[in-house]
Amino acid sequence: MTLFHFGNCFALAYFPYFITYKCSGLSEYNAFWRCVQAGATYLFVQLCKMLFLATFFPTWEGGAGVYDFVGEFMKATVDLADLLGLHLVMSRNAGKGEYKIMVAAMGWSTAELVMSRCIPLWVGARGIEFDWKYIQMSFDSNISLVHYIAMAAVVWMFTRYDLPKSFRLPVTVLLGLCVYKAFLMELFVHVFLLGSWTALLVKAVLTGSISLCSLFLFVTLVHSN
Amino acid sequence: MFEEASEVFDNMFKSSFPLTFIVFIPAVLILVSPLPAEAAHEFTVYRMQQYDLQGQPYGTRNAILNTEARTVEAEVLSRRCVIMRLVDFSYERYQKALRQSAGAVVIILPKNMSTMPQDIVQQFMELEPEMLATETIVPVYFALEDDELLSIYTQTLTSSSSQGSSSAAEVLIHTATANGFQMVTSGAQSKAVSDWAITSLEGRLAGTGGEDLPTIVLVAHYDSFGVAPWLSYGADSNGSGVSMLLELARLFSRLYTYKRTHAGYNLLFFVSGGGKFNYQGTKRWLEDNLDHTDSSLLQDNVAFVLCLDTLGNGDSLHLHVSKPPKEGTAQYALLKELETVASNQYPEVKFSMVHKKINLADDTLAWEHERFGIRRLPAFTLSHLNSHREVQRSSIMDVRSVSSEHGAGEPPAGPHVDLRKLSRNTKLIAESLARVIYNLTEKGAPGDLQIFTEQMQMQEEQLSSVVDWLTAQPRAAQLVDKDSSVVSTLEYHLGRYLKDVRRHYVKADKRDPEFVFYDQLKQTMNAYRVKPAIFDLLLAFCIAAYLGVIYLSIQVSVLFCVFKQTHFKVKQHGLRSGVANLSRHGQHT
Repeated sequence: MTLFHFGNCFALAYFPYFITYKCSGLSEYNAFWRCVQAGATYLFVQLCKMLFLATFFPTWEGGAGVYDFVGEFMKATVDLADLLGLHLVMSRNAGKGEYKIMVAAMGWSTAELVMSRCIPLWVGARGIEFDWKYIQMSFDSNISLVHYIAMAAVVWMFTRYDLPKSFRLPVTVLLGLCVYKAFLMELFVHVFLLGSWTALLVKAVLTGSISLCSLFLFVTLVHSN
Repeated sequence: MFEEASEVFDNMFKSSFPLTFIVFIPAVLILVSPLPAEAAHEFTVYRMQQYDLQGQPYGTRNAILNTEARTVEAEVLSRRCVIMRLVDFSYERYQKALRQSAGAVVIILPKNMSTMPQDIVQQFMELEPEMLATETIVPVYFALEDDELLSIYTQTLTSSSSQGSSSAAEVLIHTATANGFQMVTSGAQSKAVSDWAITSLEGRLAGTGGEDLPTIVLVAHYDSFGVAPWLSYGADSNGSGVSMLLELARLFSRLYTYKRTHAGYNLLFFVSGGGKFNYQGTKRWLEDNLDHTDSSLLQDNVAFVLCLDTLGNGDSLHLHVSKPPKEGTAQYALLKELETVASNQYPEVKFSMVHKKINLADDTLAWEHERFGIRRLPAFTLSHLNSHREVQRSSIMDVRSVSSEHGAGEPPAGPHVDLRKLSRNTKLIAESLARVIYNLTEKGAPGDLQIFTEQMQMQEEQLSSVVDWLTAQPRAAQLVDKDSSVVSTLEYHLGRYLKDVRRHYVKADKRDPEFVFYDQLKQTMNAYRVKPAIFDLLLAFCIAAYLGVIYLSIQVSVLFCVFKQTHFKVKQHGLRSGVANLSRHGQHT
């Protein structure tokens, strides 16, 4: 029943996106095409990042077990381009804050789902061999959805001119956490030698905490106006 | 959303043709692409013998397998692949698997056969011919054990033995956590190999002193036999015979180079193939030499034919004859010389003659000399085995000892070659042959005269290296074709000492083949980790529940936000209307 397993993984990965799209009211605003445009921006940004990394960063020549902290840190810094891309998408869309955030986040994360998860699932989950990593990959895509919504909200808040002074610092800290989250996760896995399910749990907790903080800040900001 | 999506696709279709290509053709290609194979473990397996001898089929008939793995303890074995380790192997378990119509049997052998205890090795050797005698449709494979295979076995064992036991909840948990394995072979179905040529080699040393000299023929078959062709190394049977033959060839060719020691006997050496399949090489060689050629050494004056079979061990020597030799014949002379040399020079060797009549009603002939006996040539076979039915003549346990791990002292559990005994037997036979050829007893030489000493010394290193080389590769008749390195190396070695080294081929007759070999004897098997079907359903149920929870939580939070907003608006509205009322009221009053 391996096509069935592929169906399971695909449903687990894709349906939360579908539910989010439906329930956030985006369908009333004819936002589909805008989401596709956001996805195209994602592709462009990833391409630029890859070219940049390939040109300027040397390959790591150390041993297999040693983790190159500095190198990976520098590579994670390139992920700042993600923030620029999200800002670009949001600035091109006119509308309320929530609308901009949701459109950008939905388009971005759907593009990431299609580009980086569909093909491994199709090729791997359909085979005879069973591996838990496909279910983990689908869970991971759910976590990414929440992460990108939080990231878009933080970017939006960062670029507001009417952001109160007391909010500047938390917003900047959250922004940094968003960008370096992947690096932190790899650090945890390497230092504490976490198993795959534990790593997923840690990732979920981290993303959850970031999103809760950003939600709190966002609600406070919106309601104070 | 679907209307919007369809709108987008419409735009895409109308706008440009290449865009559809870029999007759709790769999608279609990916959809129909074949699946790449990525197994939990990939290992080589060796199939049990499959051959027909004189029309009678032996061994397993099937090669492909694609079934789930179980061990013998499981309750349901039908259409499953039964995995057994050698330590747990017994004939009842094997029969149980076959009776329950298992899909396949895989027997795991330890990498180092010498670690096995003696009784298990002995039991397995006795079971080998029984396994082969019955024709099974079920493919039987042998695999050498490594760590991953062992872990696959232990996992299968735990899941098989816990199958019948427990409650529904335990079964559910078990399906979620356990790993099943699907065993798949990559090859095709086995089919008969057509035009297989069994190669034999002959060489001679011509005697001196006129025409019509008597001929002595020395024969040894070089192929090996076991329950799996790729695992049959045949150290004692008959690697010992071949190495002894080569050493005798070397010694007598040295004697024949000097005029003073050049004897009046022709020596014909024959290394035959297909020996374990009823001596096919010898049979055809005899037919060609006696029926189809005008003159051959075999037609004229044959003193006797000595076949060497399994002489690498043991402290007894048996001379197997089909007719006891009459007094005054060369045969009788050899018999007497062997007795003399054994009693005088090697008292620890028990020498005896075993008389067994040729029984043509049997499926196969007993010893190689019977082929010559059928054609009325005087022949006998020397062996340290008492009976041709001994199981160690055709066992995969017959390997050379792994001397690097064992050091000096420890012999392996199964049949093997003991180099000292092999060289002792070689010297004994060489001395006896020399006494017959040079007629030493009549000339009055004492019984303990040793000819092969000093420069004519037996070279034990030569014997050792030949046995090592022979046992380094499997020499089953199905695997040694005419381009094989075994044949060409033997040809080269014979060519160093003998003249007129020739090859002789045997191919099975087209209409009524004496032997038929089948292919697909070595396969690569993949073990894929699989989960049972219930697991997929369980997972689907869990995912549906998870999605339901998400949907409900989103709906609840949306409702909550809406509620909060309306409550806030109501409150604001209420406040404003209250203030307005108050102001109006204030104005009134």
